Amino acid sequence: VGIWWTIGLASPLATETLIHTFVFGWAIEYVFFVLEVAAAFIFYYGWAKLEPKTHQTIGWIYAGAAWISLVLITAITAFMLNPGAWPQHRSFWIGFLNPQFAPQTLARTGGAFLLSSLYVYLHAAFKIRDAELRDLISKRAVQPGLLGVVLAAIGGAGWYVYLPESAQAALAAASVLNVLLALLVALAITLAAMLYCGPYRNPGWISPGFAILFFASGLAAVSVGEFLREAVRKPYVIYNVVLGNQVLAEEIPGLRRGGYLEGGVWTRAWVATHYPQVMSAGKIEEEKLLTLPAADQRKLGQVLFQYHCNDCHAADSGYSPVGHMIRGWPRARILSLVLTPEEVRFFMPPWAGTAAEAELLTEYLVSIAPAHPGGMYYGNGR
Amino acid sequence: METPDLIGPASPLGYPAPYWFLALFKVLGFTCHAVPMNLAYAGLLLALLLRASGNEHARQWAGRLARQMPFIVAWAVNLGIVPLLFTQVAYYQVFYPAMILMAWPWLGIIPLLTLAYYGVYIYAAGFRLGGPGPTRFKQSAGWVSALLFLAIGFIFTSAFALMTNISAWPALWQQTSVAGAPLGIAHSLANPTLWPRWLLMLGLALTTTAAYVVVDTGWFAQKESGAYKQWTARFGLEVYSAGVVLFVVAGVAYVFGGWPAELRQLLFTNPVFMLAAISAGLPWLLILAQVRQGAITQGLAMATGLGQSGVLALNAISRQLAQNAELEKYLDVTGQPVQVDWSPMILFLVLFAAGLALVIWMVRKVLIAVRGPEP
Repeated sequence: VGIWWTIGLASPLATETLIHTFVFGWAIEYVFFVLEVAAAFIFYYGWAKLEPKTHQTIGWIYAGAAWISLVLITAITAFMLNPGAWPQHRSFWIGFLNPQFAPQTLARTGGAFLLSSLYVYLHAAFKIRDAELRDLISKRAVQPGLLGVVLAAIGGAGWYVYLPESAQAALAAASVLNVLLALLVALAITLAAMLYCGPYRNPGWISPGFAILFFASGLAAVSVGEFLREAVRKPYVIYNVVLGNQVLAEEIPGLRRGGYLEGGVWTRAWVATHYPQVMSAGKIEEEKLLTLPAADQRKLGQVLFQYHCNDCHAADSGYSPVGHMIRGWPRARILSLVLTPEEVRFFMPPWAGTAAEAELLTEYLVSIAPAHPGGMYYGNGR
Repeated sequence: METPDLIGPASPLGYPAPYWFLALFKVLGFTCHAVPMNLAYAGLLLALLLRASGNEHARQWAGRLARQMPFIVAWAVNLGIVPLLFTQVAYYQVFYPAMILMAWPWLGIIPLLTLAYYGVYIYAAGFRLGGPGPTRFKQSAGWVSALLFLAIGFIFTSAFALMTNISAWPALWQQTSVAGAPLGIAHSLANPTLWPRWLLMLGLALTTTAAYVVVDTGWFAQKESGAYKQWTARFGLEVYSAGVVLFVVAGVAYVFGGWPAELRQLLFTNPVFMLAAISAGLPWLLILAQVRQGAITQGLAMATGLGQSGVLALNAISRQLAQNAELEKYLDVTGQPVQVDWSPMILFLVLFAAGLALVIWMVRKVLIAVRGPEP
């Protein structure tokens, strides 16, 4: 449920696009959520009260509904990474059955099997006193766990194959993603080895400590996988449709002509309120922007930074702060970065404003960039 | 600054279904959500109060509701997403800006709700059948949950009031932003509709709780004594009456203290508003009839429950009409381009019907297991 709160705040444009495309996918998912909740309560509270056959049927309804809700939401998240031919056709089914759909569904199904097995071990280690029963459970939960690893591996390979070229390049280029991918592979191999050596060959190993380590490793693998899945999309939230800075890719040419400040509802309102002298007939006159005093130009540069860059970058401190990245840079290099960020880093969104606005943003960035760190020796005399 | 300037352009994708379809599911979803939400909102508080100071039957009722509360909260949360989904489809141009302006209180709902949900489980665990009752810690958890539900209700009211109070946006935005970027800490406490709306919902929640007292007694409390059943009928009437009084007082303050004249005009000319205002009379009369006959019957209890669902539905429809009227001068939500996706829409309707049938089948199986096979 919390995801509805976070996605709407973090990326309203992408949420709006997804919701207008897949509202019935989500509505169907909620039908299955209702089934899940009803079946889960009835299955749990109906234990030893319902006829065994009915009880089991309700268990299957719960499992089926849960898996279908996984399939539905996976289709939507997979669409965000590779929408296939959707941008040309804009049809629900083309978007839903996107190239990433099958691999991610396989990977997520595998992840679910694996985590379920690991949870069974955690529960058994803490709750079951009878050693014989605990060993039996340990052995039986191995198959779904190993199946989970295999499905996740096949799905993961498919995920890589059907990644857009830029996402594969991001995976190769970004050191943090290199490290995380290696970690994911290592965790998957470790988990498979632990399943085989532990519960399968030596069921007696399932102690609380081992089970906690096991479950934590599974959670770590899933978290790393989810982070990688999200990170490789850069610079898009929806590949080739919505950029990370809340701009539709198709809007960029218009914004470059008409101005980013003019193109945004809130940026235009800010300029109109604070700098009415640059407005004419309700529109921002681009040529007047650079006639403002330097302090005001920096202020407008800050507005541009907040709207164009702040989705991914802090200013001078915090997450991925631009100030530190351009530390000691000359003004011309900063301006070049502003005008062509996608050439400096291919996973950056392109500049979506006019040349005058690029000057404003540059003024602001120059003002927050610290000097080159002192005391560094480059072999040029002491 | 002209406030319409702050409303973004329509999505190039258009609505995926006609507006009436989106509004229908928004209202239907909200009505379904309102039943458990009202019980969590007012019922838990009432149960705690009666548990602390009530007589034997009051404490008995409090225990019954507390044991059911984990189910109730689960349903309230789950069904709440449906209206939220359709709100985002049809009202995205005002929903996202308002939620971003008050992002932190809005986001705060999630941790508050998580805590409240755990608190409910802890409180309910104190009412295991045959147990000594909740310990002081478990009671405290119940109180914390009840207060958190009230706070969550207030944030929701505030958020949805801000969604239509567009004229307040510019000032709130200017006061709580850095270089034009909202900090997400705006909270329009000065909105004259805010407090009456919150109290109106509390009044409505009390009437739903009262109707549920009757439904629970009529359908699920067969093993309870006759004295308990008589008590619940009277108690239901008292709570319903108190809820109606609060609903009327808050409603008058809301309409006459918060609404502009043109919206009031709509109230007096549209029969749905009038019907919503007087609809609570029907469940009240049904409960009164059961008090008079000295027993709650299954038929009348069912009628009370259905009548209360009708009250909630009429209020949801009225709220929808008022919301559209409030937005009318800025935005015509009914006049947006539509590009219907027929096949997923039909699939949804088919699965909706099938899912409903499956839930009914499962509930029927439970009832048979609890009561024994039908003759």
